[in-house]
Amino acid sequence: MTPVASVALVNYIGLSALIFLIGVAGVLTRRNPLIMLMAIELMWNAANLAMLAFARAWLNNAGQVFAFLVITVAAAEAAIALAIVLITFRRTKNVDVDEIASLSG
Amino acid sequence: MLYTIWLLPLLGAVVLWVLGPQLRERGGILGSAAVGLSFFATLTLYRAAGTTPGVHVPLGSWIGGFTFGLMMDPLSLIWVLVITGVGGLIHVYSIGYMAGDRAVARFFAYMNFFVFAMLTLVLSDNFVGLLVGWGLVGLASYFLIGFWFERPSAVAAARKAFVINVVGDVGLMFAVFVLFSHTGSIAYTDVFARVRDLAPPVLLTACIAIFIGCAAKSAQVPLHTWLPDALEGPTPVSALIHAATMVTAGVYLVARCAPLWDSSSAARELVGTIGAVTALAGAILGIAQWDIKRVLAYSTMSQIGYMIMGVGVGAYEAGVLHFFTHAFFKAQLFLAAGLAIHALAGEQDIRNMGGLARRMPFAFWGMLIGTLSICGVPFFAGFYSKDAVIYGELLDGHPWLYVLGVATAGITAYYMFRMLFIAFFGRDRTQTEHHGEPAHASNVPDWVMQVPVAILMVGTIAAGYLDIGGDNSIWSRFLAPDFAGENLLRTGAPQISDMVSSAVVLVAVVLGFGLAYLRYGAPAALTNAPERLDREARTMPPVLTHGYFVDDLIWALFVRPAQALGMAFGRFLDPVLIDGAVRDTSFLAGVLGWITRRLENGLVRAYAVTIVLGVACFVAYYAFAGIPR
Amino acid sequence: MTLFWLLAVGLVITSLLTVTARRPVYSVVYLIANFVLLAITYVTLSAEFLGVIQVIVYASAILMLFLFVMALLSTSTAPFSVGPDRLPGIVGPAVALVAVIFGLLVYGVTRTPLLIVPRAQPVSAAPGTANAFGSTSDFGAALMTTHLLPFEVTAFVLMVAVIGVVMLASDAAPQATRHHARRRGPRTREPITRERPALEKGSVR
Repeated sequence: MTPVASVALVNYIGLSALIFLIGVAGVLTRRNPLIMLMAIELMWNAANLAMLAFARAWLNNAGQVFAFLVITVAAAEAAIALAIVLITFRRTKNVDVDEIASLSG
Repeated sequence: MLYTIWLLPLLGAVVLWVLGPQLRERGGILGSAAVGLSFFATLTLYRAAGTTPGVHVPLGSWIGGFTFGLMMDPLSLIWVLVITGVGGLIHVYSIGYMAGDRAVARFFAYMNFFVFAMLTLVLSDNFVGLLVGWGLVGLASYFLIGFWFERPSAVAAARKAFVINVVGDVGLMFAVFVLFSHTGSIAYTDVFARVRDLAPPVLLTACIAIFIGCAAKSAQVPLHTWLPDALEGPTPVSALIHAATMVTAGVYLVARCAPLWDSSSAARELVGTIGAVTALAGAILGIAQWDIKRVLAYSTMSQIGYMIMGVGVGAYEAGVLHFFTHAFFKAQLFLAAGLAIHALAGEQDIRNMGGLARRMPFAFWGMLIGTLSICGVPFFAGFYSKDAVIYGELLDGHPWLYVLGVATAGITAYYMFRMLFIAFFGRDRTQTEHHGEPAHASNVPDWVMQVPVAILMVGTIAAGYLDIGGDNSIWSRFLAPDFAGENLLRTGAPQISDMVSSAVVLVAVVLGFGLAYLRYGAPAALTNAPERLDREARTMPPVLTHGYFVDDLIWALFVRPAQALGMAFGRFLDPVLIDGAVRDTSFLAGVLGWITRRLENGLVRAYAVTIVLGVACFVAYYAFAGIPR
Repeated sequence: MTLFWLLAVGLVITSLLTVTARRPVYSVVYLIANFVLLAITYVTLSAEFLGVIQVIVYASAILMLFLFVMALLSTSTAPFSVGPDRLPGIVGPAVALVAVIFGLLVYGVTRTPLLIVPRAQPVSAAPGTANAFGSTSDFGAALMTTHLLPFEVTAFVLMVAVIGVVMLASDAAPQATRHHARRRGPRTREPITRERPALEKGSVR
């Protein structure tokens, strides 16, 4: 079973770009931090998809290793981001990103 | 080994700098040890390798294949020996002299740094390294002259020395640029090998620019005014600056660049003349001084004039020998004077001394031997070197310089014995209350300060014996590899022989001594010394007491116009151009700030929008420009 | 071929649903579906190991974490939108911007020599066998030999993340260190108090 043989690399790249941009749009439009984080996860995975497609095309598993690293870093990021969401909730009793604007200059 | 010699003082300086507060008094021992070890390393290296081909250690290379390295040939060996040897003795002496000062460790850190800078200067095998050392020496002298920075006069003197030295640095730098652009190299060997190909105007320009550097560092007329002021530093510093380091750098540079001078007779004339003029001018100023250290300072200026005169006219061996002997007797004179100053709690005016020969015989003998040596009395070191320099003028066909040299020798004898008679003979005129250098409650034994003076005495007497035997002497044979092309410009044989020349100089010296004895040393003169000295102080011509008004001249010629220019800029140019630009800039910043304040609204999603906009720009760029291959 | 298009359509739909869902819990569910589909896509790209990892780590562990956090916060939407929307008309511009970027990407990709990549390079060994490209043993060998340093660095990153989360989650700890920093003496250590920092009205806009 070698399904990739019948699909051009460009299709994978296009799919990856599409998922990535859906993630971007999610981050821009949603104000719920959890959904924003999930959109960011989508972006991570879109990037992974592109890397795996390239790895397969060149038969070079450096791309796979990098995708693995991305998964690890994404896990770390999710953990820290969720912790931040939690302590924000504990301090201010809400997690609305439009309300938490202490970065304002 | 060369590294060891070079870096030990730096190590000492760094350690003293860092650990100064912990070391306190012990800092002196550490500093002396660093320089002393460096001296013994030099001796070891000399014994192990000799110097005939010169020891050469590459340090590294720079863009374009320029290699930097350390080099030790006979010429630099002499300098290294003096710097570390005499310098080391001065360090030991300073342990006693500086005992009780609040910042002993800082003092020794500067001293070690000074030695390191000077070693960089003489050990470098190229002009850039020389320039680095040249600059570092100026910096170190700034630190040391301004060591007692709570005194405004010391700070002013340090600044003056630094500024004048920078004038010289610029000259030297210009010379290096010229040489590099015309020979394509900075290494001594390469440059000197291509000297013959240089056009005479280029060569003359380079020589003059180099000599400007020498004149500033070696206190030649008209850049000499920093030297007397430099006495604001502690006395051991004066000894170090005057005897072992700093002012002799110019002599080194002229001797090092001998091939340049050998190829340009015009440059030689200039250097020889300026040296002779400096020698005479310094000696005449020496007559008019009341401060014991100022007398010595002007004598240094005068003696450096001799050295420059010697190396300038091609009598390199004589000039370098005079440096060698001068290092001993001048260090000894300063240290012996320091003994007296130290014992009198900072008194430096010879009118307030008198009769010190009985009170402190050791200092007196030190001064006496140093004086005999500097005056060129036979069997003392100065005799051999000074005669060689003066006779060198004749060998090179400069009878006028010869006359100047002889006259200077006579005046030297006069002012040195004048100082000796006033300070060490007659009635004791010391007063109880003193000012000037701070008095120190010392618990360091006397011998710490006396032993270095005693060792220097040996050199003061014996250093000249190296040159006995004319062209076949140890000295000449030792330096021969450095000055191969020496006799190229010599014209004809002199009219009188070596012996006759010595006799002429001796007559001048005896005349000077006799005059000094009659005016200051005879019993009649000694009995009513205070009145006579007062009268002399009142009738002294102002041109002498003000150092020929050179300072005022520099003030009027350079400082005043610069101040006026600054005022003009401050009044007219600054408010419009600079302040206007500043105001406009601040307005622009305000506008930008208003815009960014709109952007920085704390909304995470708004920040995300800006990020995505940036991404869009990147993507657009790559989409239209294509991916670079 | 058909499989790819099926997967592609599924991925796009679940992605859209993830970012448009009304409640975060629904988002998580759609995201799990998305990740499972993605894992299948990985397998079609000969990345078996990563496909498995995608399901185990991403779809299970990380998204479970999201669910836990939601449970801790609240099941209702209350804490997520308490004030007015400060970027009300963002949806249109955002979609337009994204569309522009996508257009630029498509334009750029068509101009690049990306297509020089051979359409179908055969995998050296049959998929599923021990040393095939992308198999667990092949991937593991690469990870532990050629790419050992990045691998170790990742371990370090994870450790830093763990420490960071512990610091953040124990709410009192950063408060206490801030007090110490202000007090200036390292010796004047006071017992860490568990009291809540006072809520100031001004800190919340």
